[in-house]
Amino acid sequence: AKLNPAELLPAVQCLSFGPQAGGGECCLLQLEPGLCAELEAGRSLVIRGEKDEHAVLCSKDKTYDMKIADTSNMLLFVPGCKTPEELNADAASCNIIHSQIAGFSKNYWELRRRRPKLKKLRKLLMEDPYEGPDSQKDQTSTFSKYTTEDLLSLIQASEEEILHQLQVIDACKIEGYWRVLDFDYEMKLLNHVTQLIDSESWPLSKVPLCACLEELGSLEPREMIEHILLSYGRKYVDAGEVFFEMREDKICRAIAQMLLQNAVKFNLSEFEEVWQQSVPEGMTTRLDQLQGLALVDRSSRPETIFLLKVEDLPEDNQERFNSLFGIRQKWTEVDITPYIQDLCAEKQTVGALLTKYARSSMLNGVKVYNSRRPIS
Amino acid sequence: MVQIIVSSSVTGALAQWVLVELQGEVEPRQSGDLAGSLLGDLHYTCEGVPVLIVGHHILYGKVVQLEKPFAVLVKQGGAPQPSPAGPHGHYTVTALIKTKLLFKTRPKPIITHVPKKV
Repeated sequence: AKLNPAELLPAVQCLSFGPQAGGGECCLLQLEPGLCAELEAGRSLVIRGEKDEHAVLCSKDKTYDMKIADTSNMLLFVPGCKTPEELNADAASCNIIHSQIAGFSKNYWELRRRRPKLKKLRKLLMEDPYEGPDSQKDQTSTFSKYTTEDLLSLIQASEEEILHQLQVIDACKIEGYWRVLDFDYEMKLLNHVTQLIDSESWPLSKVPLCACLEELGSLEPREMIEHILLSYGRKYVDAGEVFFEMREDKICRAIAQMLLQNAVKFNLSEFEEVWQQSVPEGMTTRLDQLQGLALVDRSSRPETIFLLKVEDLPEDNQERFNSLFGIRQKWTEVDITPYIQDLCAEKQTVGALLTKYARSSMLNGVKVYNSRRPIS
Repeated sequence: MVQIIVSSSVTGALAQWVLVELQGEVEPRQSGDLAGSLLGDLHYTCEGVPVLIVGHHILYGKVVQLEKPFAVLVKQGGAPQPSPAGPHGHYTVTALIKTKLLFKTRPKPIITHVPKKV
């Protein structure tokens, strides 16, 4: 081959390996969109994991799996290596530039966005649910209590994902520690509020905070009354006063859980009757309020319903499907969706999950899904 | 749990480096490390095509703007802190790489003397 000097720019960069080059102390991290900007803004990323877990990388609000990608090529990193544009802009510069290669690698860290591993969060907080100020347990409790910092050092997720999940599970901060309420205590608080709404004949969409705190403050701590209103209502301000629009679906769902947890399963029609009678005046119960909480068995005679909470099921995709197929051999898409929805990665659909982890067939004219492998 | 912080040590703009990607291996002419050895000369044509001369070979490449930039991380040495919650290590982001020079054509030997046909 020949090279015509007339076709070349005047400057030449002589590349040589720097003294540290073979050291292997440098490594490359491929950045997903947004991460580059984070680093340039001076923010840090954190790699987290227990010794027996795969490492994840967390930004302020996202979590990524880390994997080494091998390339058969040599990747050399050259500080100050100039591109043609930079050379053209600097036309008067010295024609021979000596540049050092700072390091080289045949592989790099690759990132893939993943859903945060938050099941551990619920597990940690459920070690010691808050049973109210009168409970003897808190004083003598030997269980750990967790601050935000503690959680960050134990959960493979970003800070924002953790804080968001704490809100989703209605956790509250008591004396600086994150706590979830013991379910019975939670129902006791809810009951105080719904009874008060009934006796005061307040509309469910306009429950005044101040009056609640005044009337119930002698029975329960004010923070707990406000917490239960925040958990089961939507806060808004009207003419300078704080009100709550009570969340019918959430209240009905909680009452259903309270009824269902007392037995293995219930006669469906009996349950529906008792359930409707147990919810506050003006609220209507519907089975779709129980998605991810209870499962109806329409093949049994009589039809039955039983408690099945999605948060009690495994977090790993394959284990989740194994567990679900162990409970019921064949599922319709409608029935299984609430129990696999949370597994969907960014832009992944329930349909895609079913294609990957299940096999479909027709049963009495209806499409059903079963396991791809035998379940013992 | 192990927590390793990845952050830059400087305030202000991060250094921008360039990646040079070569096919295969680079070996030193003499035995020993690559450290200190010359790799070759990097030229650009007037059209901006990078040309690398390594030994008596010419490699033609192209300038690629990386869709996913790289961060160059250097591990900070030192004993890990005993605190269970505190960071257990630190990778410093030394530079960002947003551009690479990709050389994937077969190197062509430079022939200085072409014998004439008799």
